[in-house]
Amino acid sequence: MNPWPVIRAALLRYRFSALAFVLLVAAGVALAVAILSQERALRSGSARAADRFALIVAPPASRTDALFTSVFLRPGAGPLLSPALTEKLLNDPRAAFVSPLAFGDSYRGAPVVGVVSALVAHLSEGLAQGRVFTTREEAVVGAHSPLQVGDRFKPAHGVHRGSEVDRAEGDGSAGGDDKGDRGQLHRGGPDGHALQITVVGRMKPTGSPWDRALLVPVELVWSLHQQPTGHPPDSLQLGPPFDPQFTPGIPAAVVQTDKLAASYQLRAAYTGAESMAFFPAEALLQLYAILGDVRQLMSLLALVTQALVLLAIVASVFMLFRLLAPQFTTLRALGAPRRYVFVVAWGFTALLVGVGVMAGLAGGYGLSFAISAWLARSTGVALQPSLGQSELLVSLAIFGTGLVLAALPAWRMHRVSLASAMKGA
Amino acid sequence: MTLAAHALRLSFSDSGATVIHALDDVSARFAAGELTVIAGPSGSGKSSLLHALAGIVLPQQGEVTYGATLVNQLREPQRDAWRLKHCGIVFQDFRLIDELDALGNTLLPAQFHSVRLPNGMHARAEGLLERFDLPRRAGPVTRLSRGEQQRVALARALLLDPPLILADEPTASLDAQNGQRIAKAFKALARDGKTVVVVSHDDQVVAMADRVLRLKAGQLQPQSAGLG
Repeated sequence: MNPWPVIRAALLRYRFSALAFVLLVAAGVALAVAILSQERALRSGSARAADRFALIVAPPASRTDALFTSVFLRPGAGPLLSPALTEKLLNDPRAAFVSPLAFGDSYRGAPVVGVVSALVAHLSEGLAQGRVFTTREEAVVGAHSPLQVGDRFKPAHGVHRGSEVDRAEGDGSAGGDDKGDRGQLHRGGPDGHALQITVVGRMKPTGSPWDRALLVPVELVWSLHQQPTGHPPDSLQLGPPFDPQFTPGIPAAVVQTDKLAASYQLRAAYTGAESMAFFPAEALLQLYAILGDVRQLMSLLALVTQALVLLAIVASVFMLFRLLAPQFTTLRALGAPRRYVFVVAWGFTALLVGVGVMAGLAGGYGLSFAISAWLARSTGVALQPSLGQSELLVSLAIFGTGLVLAALPAWRMHRVSLASAMKGA
Repeated sequence: MTLAAHALRLSFSDSGATVIHALDDVSARFAAGELTVIAGPSGSGKSSLLHALAGIVLPQQGEVTYGATLVNQLREPQRDAWRLKHCGIVFQDFRLIDELDALGNTLLPAQFHSVRLPNGMHARAEGLLERFDLPRRAGPVTRLSRGEQQRVALARALLLDPPLILADEPTASLDAQNGQRIAKAFKALARDGKTVVVVSHDDQVVAMADRVLRLKAGQLQPQSAGLG
C-alpha cells in the first residue's frame, strides 16, 4: 500500500499544526541532546585544560576554588600560603620546577599572571612566536590574546572588562597601552601601573583560559604590589632560587615533576595544616560528580518534558483525526482496508515525530555549539561538542516512544465502524 | 453477473434511541447494462439500500448477492476487497481529497494495496480524465468547478474498471447542465455493460433510467418492484 498521497494531503491541510508539532518535538529533543553533549564537552574541555598541570599547591581550603584559581584563572579573595612555606615550596629540589601564580592585575579583561618562565615553556610546549621573557618588563601572551609580539601594555589593578571596572583588590587602577600609537609612552591612569611591558612571545594554543592570559615574571607582579620580589632588592634575577628573606606568600603554585612518584611525594609533603596539594583530576572528579548529578536531573526534566510534549501532540492528533474522519470514511467506503487507514494515521504522526527528532538532533548539536562558543568566550576553556552515543540513544528513545504513541490515535481511527461513520456522514 | 438484494431488513437507532426501519423486506435485482435509479423521499432508505448493496452496512436480515457471492456473508476484509474490485462508488459531495490534484484523486484506489501503481494504471487514469474532459494536473481539485469535481469522482470510481457503479445523489449539488452531463455519463456506462445503480430524485437522471425503484418508509413501492 502507498499511504503517502493521503499523508501528504493531511500534512498540507494541517501544515501549521504539523509545523508546531515538529517544532515542539524538536525543541524537546534539542534540549536533551544539548544537555548531554554539553556536559561531555565540559568534561573533556576542562580535563584538557587541566592536563598540563601536574600538581597544585594552595592554602588549605576548597580544592575546587584552588582549581579555579590556578587552572581556570578565576582568582578569588582567598588566603595565601605563608612566605616560609612558599619559599620552601618554590625551592623544593624534588620538583622539576615550581611556578608561583601571582594575580591581581589585568589588561582589558585579560588576566596578567605572574609565573616563572619554566611554566610558560611547559604550558605551551615551545612558543608559537618570539621568546620567553628574560626581564621584568617583558611578557608572553596566550594564543588568543589580541596583543602582538612587540606591542606594549600597562597592566591595571583588578579585573577590567572593557571600560567596566571590577575591582578585585587593592586601590584599583586603569591600564593603557600604546598599541596603535607605538613609541609614545602612556602614563598610567589613576588605577593603572605606570610601567610598560613589552610582549616578546606568544604561546601555542592550550585550550584553556591561559590562552587569553598575559604571562609576566612573578617578580614583576610582586614588585608592582609593593611586595618583596623573591630576590634581594637590587637583584634583577628572574625565577628560582628564591631568597627566603624576600619571598612573599602566594595564592597557589603549580608543581611539575619528572616522575609520578615525586608528584605523590610532594602531594604528601604539602598536604597538612598550612597547605593542601592535589592533582587537578581529583578536583575535577568532584566537579564531574556534581556536573553528572545536574546533567541527570536536567536530562530527566528534558525527558519528562518530552514525554509531556509527545502526549500533548498525540492528544492534538486525536482531535485532528476527528476532523479527518470523513476522509478516512471515504477511503474505507472506496474499498481501503482498515490497515490502510491505520498506516495513514500512524504514518502522519510518526512522520511529525521523526522529522521533529531529526530537527531536534541537529538543533541540539547547534545549540551545544552555541553554548560552547559562549562558554569559551566567558571562561576561555575550549569546548568541542560532539554527538555521542547517549544523544543518539535518547533521540532514538524519544522517536520510539513517539512511534508507539502514534499508534494510539491510529488504532482509534482504524476501529471506527464504516457503517456508523457512513450513517453520520 | 447480477447484483441482487433479497428480503433486506435493516434498522438502526437514532440518537434518541428511536428505532428506524431503514429497509423493510426489500428485494431487487440489478442487471448488467442497466441504469437503475432508486428514488424516494428523504429518509425512505435509498442510501441505506445503496450502502447495503456495496457491503458498507450489513442488513440484519436478507442477503446481498453478486453472482455466486454472498456479499453480506463475507468477513470485513473480504468485503473491503470485494468492494474495491467490484464497486465504483460516487458520492453526492464528491468526497475528494482537496489537497490532491485530479490525477492524484483518480489514482487513489490503486494505492490501497500496492506501493507502486500497477502497470498501465497511470495511463488509464489519464485516459479517464481525458474522457471526462478534465485537466490532469491543475493543482488541488478544489480549484475545479463542482461539475468537474464530480467528474473526477466518477473517474476515481472507474479506475479499477469495476462492473458495478453505485452513486448516491451524484447530481444533487450540481447545476442542471453539469447534472445532465453526469446523468449522460451514467447512461453511457450502462450502455458499456456496467451495472449502474443511482440514488437520485433528479428528474434528469430519472428520465434516463432503464428502471426506477421507488422506496417509501423502507419499502419498495409496488409499481417499481424489481425482483424477477
